[in-house]
Order: sequence, then C-alpha cells, then structure tokens
Amino acid sequence: MIQTIRVQTTKGPDLTGLGLLHDIQSQLHIDGVTKIRTAKVYRVEGLNDTDARILTEQAFCETINQDYAINSTLFTDAKHIVEIAYKPGVMNPEVQSILKSASDLGFSLAAADSSREYAFYGKVTREQVTQIIHKLNLFNAITEHVVLEEPKTLKITGKIGKVKTLPLRALSDSELTTLSKDTLFLTLEEMRVIQRYFQKIKRDPTDCELETLAQTWSEHCVHKTFRANLTIDGKKKRPLIKRIKDTAKGFDSFIVSAFEDNSGVIDFYDGYGICGKVETHNSPSAIEPYGGAMTGSGGVFRDVLGTGQGAKVLISTDVFCFAPPDLPKKDIPPGCLPPDYMLKKVVAGVRDYGNRVGIPTNNGSLHFHPDFRAKPTVAVGAYGILEKKKAQKGKVKPSDLILTLGGRTGRDGIHGATFSSGEMTDRTITVSGSAVQIGNAIEEKRVIDAVMELREKRYIRAITDCGAGGYSSAIGEMGKDTGAKVHLEKVPLKYTGLAPWEIFLSESQERMVIAVDPKHKKEVLDICKLYNVEATVIGEFTNTHRLHVFYGKETVCDLAMTFLHDGLPQRHMIGKTASNAASAASDAAAAKKIEKLPQPKDYESIWKKIMSHGNVCSKEPIVRLYDHTVQGSNALHPFGGVALDAPNDGAIVKPFLDKPYGLATTHGLNPVLNQIDPYWGSIWALTEAVANYVAIGGSLKDAALIDNFVWPFPDEASLADLDKAVDACTDMAKLLSMPFVSGKDSLSSTYRFKDKSVLKIPPVLLISVFGRIADVTKTMSSDFKQAGSTIVLVGKSDVKNLGGTTYFSIRNSQANSIPRVDIKTLPKTLAAVTKGIQAGNILAVHDISEGGIASALAEMCFGAGFGATVDVKKIAMTRPDFTLFNETAGTFLIEVANEKTAKKLFRNVPYAIIGTTKQSSTIEVFHGKKQLADARINTLKTAWQKPMKAYFS
Amino acid sequence: MKPNVCILRSDGTNCDNELFYAFEKAGGKSEFVHVNELRNKEKTLKNFQILALPGGFSYGDDLASGKVLAVELMSFFKEDLHKFIDQKGYVLGVCNGFQTLIRTGLLPFNTPGKMHATLTNNDSGHFECRWIKIKAEKSKASYFNELDFIMDASVNHGEGKLYADEATLKKIEDEDLVAFRYVDTLGKPTQHYPENPNGAMNAIAGISDKTGRIFGLMPHPEKFVDITQHPNWRREHFTTPHGLPFFEKIVAFVKAS
Repeated sequence: MIQTIRVQTTKGPDLTGLGLLHDIQSQLHIDGVTKIRTAKVYRVEGLNDTDARILTEQAFCETINQDYAINSTLFTDAKHIVEIAYKPGVMNPEVQSILKSASDLGFSLAAADSSREYAFYGKVTREQVTQIIHKLNLFNAITEHVVLEEPKTLKITGKIGKVKTLPLRALSDSELTTLSKDTLFLTLEEMRVIQRYFQKIKRDPTDCELETLAQTWSEHCVHKTFRANLTIDGKKKRPLIKRIKDTAKGFDSFIVSAFEDNSGVIDFYDGYGICGKVETHNSPSAIEPYGGAMTGSGGVFRDVLGTGQGAKVLISTDVFCFAPPDLPKKDIPPGCLPPDYMLKKVVAGVRDYGNRVGIPTNNGSLHFHPDFRAKPTVAVGAYGILEKKKAQKGKVKPSDLILTLGGRTGRDGIHGATFSSGEMTDRTITVSGSAVQIGNAIEEKRVIDAVMELREKRYIRAITDCGAGGYSSAIGEMGKDTGAKVHLEKVPLKYTGLAPWEIFLSESQERMVIAVDPKHKKEVLDICKLYNVEATVIGEFTNTHRLHVFYGKETVCDLAMTFLHDGLPQRHMIGKTASNAASAASDAAAAKKIEKLPQPKDYESIWKKIMSHGNVCSKEPIVRLYDHTVQGSNALHPFGGVALDAPNDGAIVKPFLDKPYGLATTHGLNPVLNQIDPYWGSIWALTEAVANYVAIGGSLKDAALIDNFVWPFPDEASLADLDKAVDACTDMAKLLSMPFVSGKDSLSSTYRFKDKSVLKIPPVLLISVFGRIADVTKTMSSDFKQAGSTIVLVGKSDVKNLGGTTYFSIRNSQANSIPRVDIKTLPKTLAAVTKGIQAGNILAVHDISEGGIASALAEMCFGAGFGATVDVKKIAMTRPDFTLFNETAGTFLIEVANEKTAKKLFRNVPYAIIGTTKQSSTIEVFHGKKQLADARINTLKTAWQKPMKAYFS
Repeated sequence: MKPNVCILRSDGTNCDNELFYAFEKAGGKSEFVHVNELRNKEKTLKNFQILALPGGFSYGDDLASGKVLAVELMSFFKEDLHKFIDQKGYVLGVCNGFQTLIRTGLLPFNTPGKMHATLTNNDSGHFECRWIKIKAEKSKASYFNELDFIMDASVNHGEGKLYADEATLKKIEDEDLVAFRYVDTLGKPTQHYPENPNGAMNAIAGISDKTGRIFGLMPHPEKFVDITQHPNWRREHFTTPHGLPFFEKIVAFVKAS
C-alpha cells in the first residue's frame, strides 16, 4: 500500500505561502484569500504503518520546527487544498534520495514520490483556486499536474513497444511531407533521399531507422544551413562554417583542437589545455523554462566533460534574452509563456542545477526586447581544463565496449533534436511536450566525479555526452569510422514500456557514453560503483561500418554508417538582402529628425532612466542566487567595490588554487543592433566581447572566440543577414588575429501565427571570449580606487550614430545608423589598455556599452563609494547628450593616478582626459563650463538596482 | 607531524577542493575519502585526526539540507564517530557539513541520532551567495579565541538559519558554544539582512560542542585562504587572507591534543 506523509513547517514563516498570498493579492486582486499554508507530501509504497512512522521521524520530519500527518490531512480547517506533483514518468530528482535514506534505515521501498501541497484559507471558491494556480503558473502542465485522486500505485509499468516497419517506399510526396511534419522536421528532398535509399536496398525502414536518420540529419545536429553552399544577392559564397573554421588556421601552437570535439581546446600552462563551449537551449526553455534551463546547463557541462578523455568543468556562464517582464499579457502570442514567469523560472533552473553540481556561475547578462515574447534566447556556457595529452578526441577501436554511465533512460526528451530544429507555433507545447524534461543535478555531479577518476586512471578510450539524439547520436557518432552493435534490452530503464526506438532516441539527461578496452571492464565498473554511478555495457564497436541495433534477437536498426553520416545532400541556399526601397529617403528623414531631437533639460532624470533600463540595470539580485564562489577559484568576482555591488566586466578563475594562472571569460551581444544592422551590429557584439576581455586584464593573443548564432529560420532575407554577421565575425577575427575554436547555431527563432504570418525574433550573435592569464595579480576590476585620480576615455567614440542605443530607446527615437566601432584604431587601443594593466599603471577599467559613458561612470563610482567630475566636451565638441550616452564598443573609461601617466600610456591611440575622481557623493558632468548634471550617486544607484529587485527579492 | 585530514565526500559534495587546499596550506595533510570507501572499509577514520565535512549539496539536499548524509552517517558510523571523537579526533562541518552535523545531533550537544537545533530556510526565502562579516568570541572552541578581528567570509546557502527553542538556545549560550556570530562593520552581532544573511537566532554563524572538538559553521573560511580569493583584494590590500588563521588554529589545536 501507499503511505502518504505530509510535513509542514510550524515554527517560523511559511515563506512559500506568504509569497503566494502576496502574488494573489497584488497581481490577481483576489482579496478573499486570508492565508496560505504549504506542506511537503511524501508517498512511499511497500511499508507498514509502524515503519512509515519511523521513516517519517528519521528522514522526513524534524519535530523541532515541523509537524506531520500520515494518511490524513494537516490542514483540516482549510477551504481548499491543491497538490501539485510531477507527472508520472517525469524524473523527480528527490525520489532517489528517499529510496536511499529508507534503505540506509533498513527499509526496502517498492516506490516513492514527493510533491507539494497548498492549502487556501478564507473566502475563496474552487474556481478562484483554479484561476490562481493557472494564472500564477503554480505548475507547468508539461511536467507537472494537479493531483486529483490518490494514486493506487507509484510503479510505472507497461508493455515493451513493438518494432514497426513503415511503408516508406510506396509513399507519395505529400504523404512524405505529412510524415515529416511535427516529428521528423526533414524537407521533402531529404525524405526522398531516404526513400530512394530504402528502395535501393529493397525493404522498408523500421521506426528506429527513420528516427535515427531524422535525428542525425536534423538542423540541430548537422547544421545544414551552415554547411550549405550559398548564393547571396546573386554572388556565390562559401559555406558559413568553412569561413568560420578558417579563422583557426595558423594558430597551430595555441589551438589544441577546434571544431572537432564537444568543445574547443586551447593551450594553457604546464601541459594543460582549457576548453570552452556555449550552447543555446531556446526551444525547451520556451515551453518549460525551469527544466529547459536545467537541461541546458547539464548539457553544456557534459560537453566539457566529454571533451578529449574528459575535462574538469571550472566555470559556467549564462546569457538570456527575454521580452520585458512587464509586457502586457495581450501581447503574448498564443502558446507562449509570460516573460516574467520565464525569467524567474530560467533563473531558478540555472540556480538549482549549477549550484548543486558545484560549478561557479560567475558571468552572464540579461537583455530585454519585446520581440523575444514568442521565444527567449537562453545560452549557457561552460569552460574546463584538461591535460593536453588527454585532449584529443579519442578514437574507438573495434571490440571496444560501449558503456552507458549515469541516468536511466525514460520516455523524456524524445524528439528534442528534431523539435529544436523547428519553428515555434501555438501547437508546439502540445505536440512537443515530451521533448522537455527536468534535470537531476546530483546525478550529473556523480557522473562528473566518476569520469574524472576514470580519466586519471586512463580507462577512457573515447567519451561523448548523450545530448540531443540520445544513444543514436552518441553511438552513431563515436562508431562513425568503425561500426557499432547495440543491445537495447541491456539499457537500464526508468520504467518498462518504451518501444526500442524510444530507448535509442531518448534524450534522458545525465548520461555519458564511453568506449572502454574490454580488459578494463571490471576496473571501470568498480570505479562507477564507488561513486554510485550506474554503468552498463550495452554493446561494442565493430569493424562492420554499420549501425546495428538489436532488441533481444530482433533487429531494430541496420544502417550503413556512410549513408547515415554522408547520405545527406549538401544544400544550396539562396539569400537576398531585404530591399529597403525607401531607405535612402527615409534615412535622410530620420537624420533630420534626430537633429531635431531636443537636448535634455534635465540630464539627471534621463540618466536615472538609463540606469533603470532593462539592459543596463543591476542584475545583482539574480547573480546572488547563483553560487559563484564554489570551488574557491574566483580571482575576479561578478561584483566588487566598497558595497560589493559594482559589476565587473568579466570573470577570472584560478584552475589551480596553488598557482598564479587564470582562466578569463567575457562575452558580448546586442540583439537590437543586430536587428537594425546585421554587419555592424555583429562587429559591435564581437568588439564588446573583446573589450570586456581587455578591460579585466586579458591579453587577446592568449584568447580564443566562440560564436553562437541564434537566428530566425533562414528564409532568403534572414540568410542574407546571417551571411553578413558571419562576414563581420571573420573580418574581426582577422583584424584582431584571434581564432574561433567552437560555435553553434540555432536557426529557429521564428514564430508562426495561425494565419501564417511570422514573427521574427531578434537575431542574436553571442560572442564569448576565453583565454589564459599568466598571473591573476595583473588583472583589473572596474571600481574607482582613489579620489583625485585622472579619468581617461580611451578609444574613438562615435558620437553621431546612436541608432539602437538605450538613450534613443528611452527617448523613442529611431535610426538605422548604429554606433560604429572604429576598426582602424581598435587593435592599437586594445593593446594599449593591455599594456597599461600589465605594467601596473592602471587603477580601474570599465568598458563602454549599453548606457554609454554615463552608466559606465556611474558604475565605477558605485564601486568607489565616491564621486567624479567630468567634462564631455573634452571628447567631442558636438551635442553633449550624444557624447555622454554614446555606446561605442571598444572604448573604455580608465582611472590612472595622474595626467602624466595617461599621456604616456595612450599617446599612440585616441584618448581624452575627461576629469577626476573626487571625495564626494555626486557625479558632476560638464560640457565645457556648463554643468549638465550633479547627480547623487545614491539616487542613480537606487534607480539602477530597483528593476530586478522587483522580481528577485 | 602533520595531522591527517579526511575530506569526506558524498554525492553532491562540491566545496571539497578548496577545503582540501585550506587544510594543506594551514599545515595539515588532506586526503579525499568518499563515504562509500568508509562503508566498504577500504578506508577507516582511525587513520585521521581531523574529519572535515565540506560544503555542497549532499544527495541534492533532498528531504532537508544534509539530511540524507546525516541519516547515512547515523545508520553506519555512529560507533566509529563516537570512538573517533573520544580518542581526540576533531570534526569540522562547513556549510552543508554543518547542516549534516546538526542533523546527526553531533552538534550542539553531541547526541548522535537526536537533533536539538536545526538549520532552516533563510529568512530571505532563497539561496544567497555573498560576502559577509563574522567575528569569533570567547567560547568552548577556545582555540579560536585569539581570532579577534572581523573576518570576511563567503556564504553560499539557502538553509542556514540556526533555529532552536528557547531552552535549547539558552543552553547553547550558557554553555558558551557560540564561537562565531554575524556582525556589522563595527563588529557588533546583527539580525539585519544581509549582514546576517539568513536570520539566524542570536546571529549565530558557528557553534561547537562543549569539548570544542566538534565544530560547524555556515560561512566558508576555506574560500579565503589566498588574498586573490576576496572580491576586493584590488582595493583593500590585505596582508593575511582571513580564512587561513581559522585553519591554522584548528591544526595547532589538534596537534597539541
């Protein structure tokens, strides 16, 4: 029988209940609810009453501040009680712990589950309660449900699904298209190639074969657009991926591996390499943000873990783009989730996963634009370290064993790869719900611990993570040059009832596949056991050059590796720049309008608005939810300064606590600029990333680049834009002599309404920089260090073009001319800053980005706890507002001891000495003799901190 | 002789590297030991003078923080721990390790299997990662008495509020078991958030048993044993990383006993 145990905290506030009550009153204006109590619910199967009581008192309830009830309710006087649980079959990470504690106490449970209960008090109707749980998104229908009746059993059973054969050979074109839609996401041409293959071998495919092909050939896995031959505006161009990969040529001694492994590896010190990878997880996060963010983190950690023979993960980063959290509900497209909910849930997912695995999350950013309302951008990065001699992608040998490590396989995450390649519609949530799952961070931590030891002992011949496409992708890829034989009946399952193809394609989390020499089998299994990691031999690599999959004796899949990996025809795609017929005329009109934009009368109020703009405001309340000091490795924290609330431009960690070396990482992006001008917007993004890197004391010659293109579905116009963005990347890589070593594209930022009209989500080019630092004591923070210093603006500011800037956004001014980075002086400027920092002649550096000089100056004063006086006329003679709020990437505010130092350091680059720091509580801004503002630091800071406090406090 | 330090790992331990390093730097000899290695008798506590439980999320902090590990330790090592402490062993729990010690009942009164106090949800309702200040005071952990400066330390937890009923709290205070409290910039104990990051009663950050041989605290002194680990080392010019003397005192105490 099932024993149901309810536990409530009786001493101290019920924080969940109070929070919910606050939301009901402030957001839904339902005043009848007077109180909400919450309780944890545990269900255990297979215990008698006495044992249930012992287990409860030993493990579930602490009577110091808690109370419990078994098989009865705690809230006898509540008006309504609602219980919310994970749906049967969705992984509940807590179950394993319940089973373990019970077992440690000597009880053997048949099954267990846990959930949460809400009790509503006061004058409230059942309908209102239903309204509350839906409107406040108390649960996500993809993974959770309201428990309406006591379950009879917690065990999930089912019959093993049959292998089906599909009569593909006889299908017409329209039937092929129907078959592909919503599940396979292949084009008709690709479906025909598959059809012809099976016509040639004179049989029809099994479900598993077709699914394996669809996964292997999905945009998500093979990046068909990036590999395609292109014709852009009538001109033939090489595939995008080739152009990016070419940037890595000529860096042989610095690059250990680029674009070959799960992450890119570059040289570090003492025989080590460092590696980096940034992944996007937009589609899952759009429909289940909590699970989507978790599995995004989990996936990118495993990418680093699966590099070479296994790398240690050191640091994680995250970058999100959402619609503004206060977007009116009516503007949210059908089937999409409200942005405030998404923001909170994505943050919670990153928090709950990263913190538990113990990877410091210490760099990231958050951008807002209304057009992200249909689909957010959720990018998660991870960086790691490994010995160079273990850094090459391992090659399997025939007869090597195939082992699966970690999580069990369930029906979760099926079709993730194919679903992520499709557009979003109002049907996405219903059709693709099974693609999303909840992560189990501790399982991942166990697997990481075990893999680290297996690597030390050199038992890993090859390793890869089970991400998109599951075993199909992992084993298909590892056995590409040899062949592989897999026995699906050996795969450990979460529950019975999966069809063989589901086992093969499932994307259940926290699994790694390793290739092991048969003679090491016992040692490998022993190590895994020590770390409580389930490890199972599920097949072996062969020399047949076929992917041969069985369930018992039945053949489930038998495909030639050559067809699987090389059968996909290379695409030829045509791109055409969207014509702005009226552009010349409208540009001129816009320029006129800009000239007429009145100069602000009250600079301080504009400044405050800038500081509280979503793209400028402090993200500290979010960052403090992430553990960024775990591992003790931080040498540059996300925040510093007197009150520890002033932001730095990047992160530096020490991979070895006893050595001076650092790994630094920064990033840059600007979807708004990308949308207006794909080429110069991309230049801006890349410049911002490297400027951040230089600002914290990194040297570009010791750093590499990672790209993430999150783009609308590549129709002709979007493809032409994408081509321009790639040109910008390669032009800049050349200019700065920096290689790209890893990258990823996700080309599904499109929402299609029922009437077929399309919302293109702003294109995001996210550039990440990572590299090595010889001595972390020669690095920089952004807070002003002392009063009386000289403040210098270094680099050439574009004070004419402010299209897409925060200033124009708050003044409702639009222009197509976005801030231009001065390409000519940029390399020299960056080098001068690096040289000054390394020589110890610089006290503080902050790069200029969103919010312009105004926000950078304010943030440096927040860190100092004192003020400054500057004269913007020293930068340009033109409009002071355009100067103060210009957002030219690649320019810096720098604190040096005196003018002499400034003149010496920056004599060969554009610079302007604009003022001094001073012992005061205000920031004075002059234009020549005219005082534009004398803003109180505290007033600016309050405005800057307020927006995110409203959502995270 | 350097004391041998058992850095105890379990599923979800994640501050083990920095704790290992801190003890090494303070003159101990650290060794990682997985709880399964104690269970299968590959390793034994007998070979160690210090047992250190690091921070992290042991078994995901499911049920309650540190709970599953506490149940495991009490199910299999009640006797071993009793002997270890009896024979002049020293037990340290940091953050999740402290939560575990509280839930085993080893703290505050060394009553294995019986809890007297708890570490519950922060008043803020969420996980907090920030730097705060703590200060040592005269207590049964007398080896900390000389640490009479305001110590900067990192806190990283969601369940760090020390809670006990009135009588228990009085007993903790009367027996001088409180070794560290959260303090403001002047060094005064504080209930103010975020200086007191979790709302702990009487601003209690760390306590020992009455022998001083079992000690636990929520903040992480092991994350500040090098100057560059501090968020403001570029402006504050520290001469000593505040966490280092904490470990040196423990090592000296263990060596002397």
